[in-house]
Amino acid sequence: MHKALRIGLVIVAMLLAPLVVRYLPQNQYLMDVIITTLIYVTLAIGLNVTVGLAGLLDLGYIAFYGLGAYAAAIVMHGGAAQAATAGGPGFWLAIPVALAVACIAGLLIGLPTLRLRGDYLAIVTLAFGQIAKLSENNWDWLTNGPQGMEVAKPVLLGHELRSPYLLYYVIAAIALLTWACVRNLNNSSVGRAWVAIREDEIAAGAMGINVPKMKLLAFMTGAAFAGLAGAFFATKSGFISPPSFDFIETVIILAMVVLGGMGSLPGVILGGVILAVLPELLRSLPGILNLEGTFDITPYRMLIYGGAMVLIMFWRPEGLLPEAHRRRELHGATAESETGTAPG
Amino acid sequence: MRQFIAAILATVTSVSLAVPVLAADAIKIGVASPITGALAKMGADIRNGAELAVQEANARGGVLGKKVELVVGDDKGDPREGITVANKLVQSGVVGVVGHLNSGISIPTSKEVYAPAKVTMISPASTNPELTQRGLKNVFRTIGRDDQQGKDAAEYAMKAGFKTVVVLHNKNAYGQGLAEVFKANFERLGGKVLMLDGIQTGDKDFTPVLTRVRAKGPDLVFFGGEYQDGGLLVGQARKVGLKAPFMGGDGLFDPLFIKLAGKKASEGAIVTFPPFDRAGSFATTYKAKYGSEPGAYSGYSYDAARVLLDAVKRAGKADRAAVMAQVSRTKGFKGVTGTITFNGQGDQPGFKFGIWKVQSGNFELVK
Amino acid sequence: MDWGILGQQILNGLTIGSMYALIALGYTMVYGILQLINFAHGEVFMIGSFLGLGTLALLDAAHVNLPIPLALLVAFVVAMAGAALLGMAIERVAYRPLRASPRLALLITALGLSIVLQNAVMLIVGTEDRTYPEAYTEALIDGFDIGAIHISYQQIFTLGLALVLMTLLTILVQKTRMGKAMRATAQDPMTAGLMGIEANRVIAYTFAIGSALAAAGGILFGLTYSINFFIGYQAGLKAFIAAVLGGIGNIPGAMVGGLVLGVVEALGAGYVSGTWKDVIAFGILVVVLIFRPSGLLGERVAEKV
Repeated sequence: MHKALRIGLVIVAMLLAPLVVRYLPQNQYLMDVIITTLIYVTLAIGLNVTVGLAGLLDLGYIAFYGLGAYAAAIVMHGGAAQAATAGGPGFWLAIPVALAVACIAGLLIGLPTLRLRGDYLAIVTLAFGQIAKLSENNWDWLTNGPQGMEVAKPVLLGHELRSPYLLYYVIAAIALLTWACVRNLNNSSVGRAWVAIREDEIAAGAMGINVPKMKLLAFMTGAAFAGLAGAFFATKSGFISPPSFDFIETVIILAMVVLGGMGSLPGVILGGVILAVLPELLRSLPGILNLEGTFDITPYRMLIYGGAMVLIMFWRPEGLLPEAHRRRELHGATAESETGTAPG
Repeated sequence: MRQFIAAILATVTSVSLAVPVLAADAIKIGVASPITGALAKMGADIRNGAELAVQEANARGGVLGKKVELVVGDDKGDPREGITVANKLVQSGVVGVVGHLNSGISIPTSKEVYAPAKVTMISPASTNPELTQRGLKNVFRTIGRDDQQGKDAAEYAMKAGFKTVVVLHNKNAYGQGLAEVFKANFERLGGKVLMLDGIQTGDKDFTPVLTRVRAKGPDLVFFGGEYQDGGLLVGQARKVGLKAPFMGGDGLFDPLFIKLAGKKASEGAIVTFPPFDRAGSFATTYKAKYGSEPGAYSGYSYDAARVLLDAVKRAGKADRAAVMAQVSRTKGFKGVTGTITFNGQGDQPGFKFGIWKVQSGNFELVK
Repeated sequence: MDWGILGQQILNGLTIGSMYALIALGYTMVYGILQLINFAHGEVFMIGSFLGLGTLALLDAAHVNLPIPLALLVAFVVAMAGAALLGMAIERVAYRPLRASPRLALLITALGLSIVLQNAVMLIVGTEDRTYPEAYTEALIDGFDIGAIHISYQQIFTLGLALVLMTLLTILVQKTRMGKAMRATAQDPMTAGLMGIEANRVIAYTFAIGSALAAAGGILFGLTYSINFFIGYQAGLKAFIAAVLGGIGNIPGAMVGGLVLGVVEALGAGYVSGTWKDVIAFGILVVVLIFRPSGLLGERVAEKV
């Protein structure tokens, strides 16, 4: 009851947020920052399934986001970028396609990598991520290459969702859906199987867990949410091009997961919020300090950002809000000294 | 869950605290370019050009008796950050924006952010034809389009007697766009394109592609791309024994191009760029202030800022809609990159590229 | 098939590949001992390159008219020593306190540090692309022909120096006491500790050597191409891939991986397309790892139970 009440409160708060923001100064900018933050939160929750729960280090995660974005763009465009003649179906039909494309990609990347462990898995996923991005840039016929693709806005009941206040509700719904799915999976036998694989793959197999199936499921679940977020990103930006899907984005999402606390849902949400908002906070710092115009913080932003990542890891190596049993592991008995270094 | 709420509340309050200091007596214009990240040098060139224009305006007593304030936005060359920073600029009260560098950022920001807010965007560097073909009233550019430049370059190459050419580009929006237009025009004029291929921008070793080019034995190599890639390409051509001269677009027009290629290797390279006065006051002031010659896009950015301020002056007030209307009426404006007259869609149909050649370590105007 | 061109392309690939190999050694050595992907290693390479450039510029500015080979030697010594100190400092300040933490925490620290170093260098040296002084690059630019293959002095210098450094490293690891200690620690840190090997010292040495090799690669890179604050990202990524391709943790593997990656890229760009070459290289990496999950020269390790 208590829990349900709190969740209800969050949903009401998320519903009302734009109405409040509207009356704040810089409302449009603020709305954009909130939308971006929700995209990252969705991605962080998704990557958390693969990395945090199942322990599969995926360094190509952004590829699923990019594939979702391109799949949505191509569907809404009515076909390949340089071949389509008329507009395609709208955003709502593009969503299942983006979802399907991302899932299939997750399966395709998951299958050959089942044999690989630890950092070899990481590097193969990294390679897949790079291949996806380069293909988006090189396959001009399909994606229009570096020139990018324009993407229409979602249409609801004959009304184009152009305003950020309306688009917010789309991404808020996606983020909430992702959160609810992962939360339920977490508490199900699937979630427990993932954690078992993460902790000891061989023991998990011996206990009757279908390890390959569960690993594939982890890849596909993570990929699905990234695909959703990608489809939204495409329609929100109105234009997509390959530079948005660079390796560095995977790295930032991974940092969100680790910083917040791997495997912990509130943790990765917090990590996502912090790393998405921090650069904007820094951008606005002179304004906050009432020093606008006296110093230019722009060149120092990334320096401070990187420094903050290091300091947070020093302060809380297990993340800001670690998973309960991981916390016990690290701060309880010291018997399990292997936890820190053993791969896989 | 509490953390979730707390985090979102923290976001909202902290970011909204960043209220712009409303200096009612200042006119604000924005400049948006990559200040950090891989494209930071070109981003700084653009910011410097706009900064110089604003400082000169202030030295003359400002515009409409008010001080002009330049708001700098860092888009990092990332489309997502581009939209965010565009929102930030719009909300800090700018009447117009000079930017962005990448077409991939100018295209979405102009439509999604600047157009609804009636903010004028004058790009000093985005050459993708698409940018101005979407019926937006707030989009302009001081630079010429890929299709104008590629055509001018092909015509010159033909006239100069080059019969066969290898076309390379760095596979970004600018380089590929320019290279393809050049190729189409060169073939239309009866020339022969022996090979078309891309390199990857940011790579440093181009000897494999150049070895292949050497085997084709072209009269000329045309390169679509910026000077960082172009400089290395030209420098390495000598190492693999490729003797054909190089030609490229305005993205190569930077003293660093000659430095990167080396004096000997860059000698004779042909670059299309508007004829501008390299000994004029803009170039000399720029050099005195920033310690280097203007970069490829500095002049375009300087002109963009001046066109914007000129429109404010003619509008008589710092009103966004009025300024936009006045920018579109810009006619015969004397800029350092040429005389600027916008057509209905924000392009300059009369934009003329000059032909420059590298001679003893300097760009010299030959036509 | 034109064999001359094929030979030329292989030579092109070996040149860039030997630079990848020098950087890859640092990744592989650190990984061998700490199982850490040291993301900041690319930045050490970049800083090493700038140290070399700075030394040469200082020598010129002070009108110390050293002959070119001597000036280069000074630059190599300064840059390699500086990078070694930087590598040790990074390990001491950022990694050692976190050694008992989850491995991914260390990875994120490395990443954060890489962002810090990159932006710090940007603030110090600016955003411009820089080249080494022409006196040095021009001295190496010319070359000679063997049949249809054009060999530049720069290529000989790069390949020769890389070979010398790799031989020295092999001797160091195989023949010296410190090398033995490094191998022992990589194999089993706990037992090595019991045998009286001081892990901290070994790790510090490993970082120093790896960083010095990266700096040497940085100078070779600077003499051949141009440098800016961002080069560590791309080169680091490529070198990391080379290390994995060869079998991470394996020193000859890093050398082979670097050279193979360089040649694959050159053949991809030379015979297919400059824009697809990385796709080809990454594709080969994936295929190699699927069929040989521990890289070309990596040993098959028994799974820990």
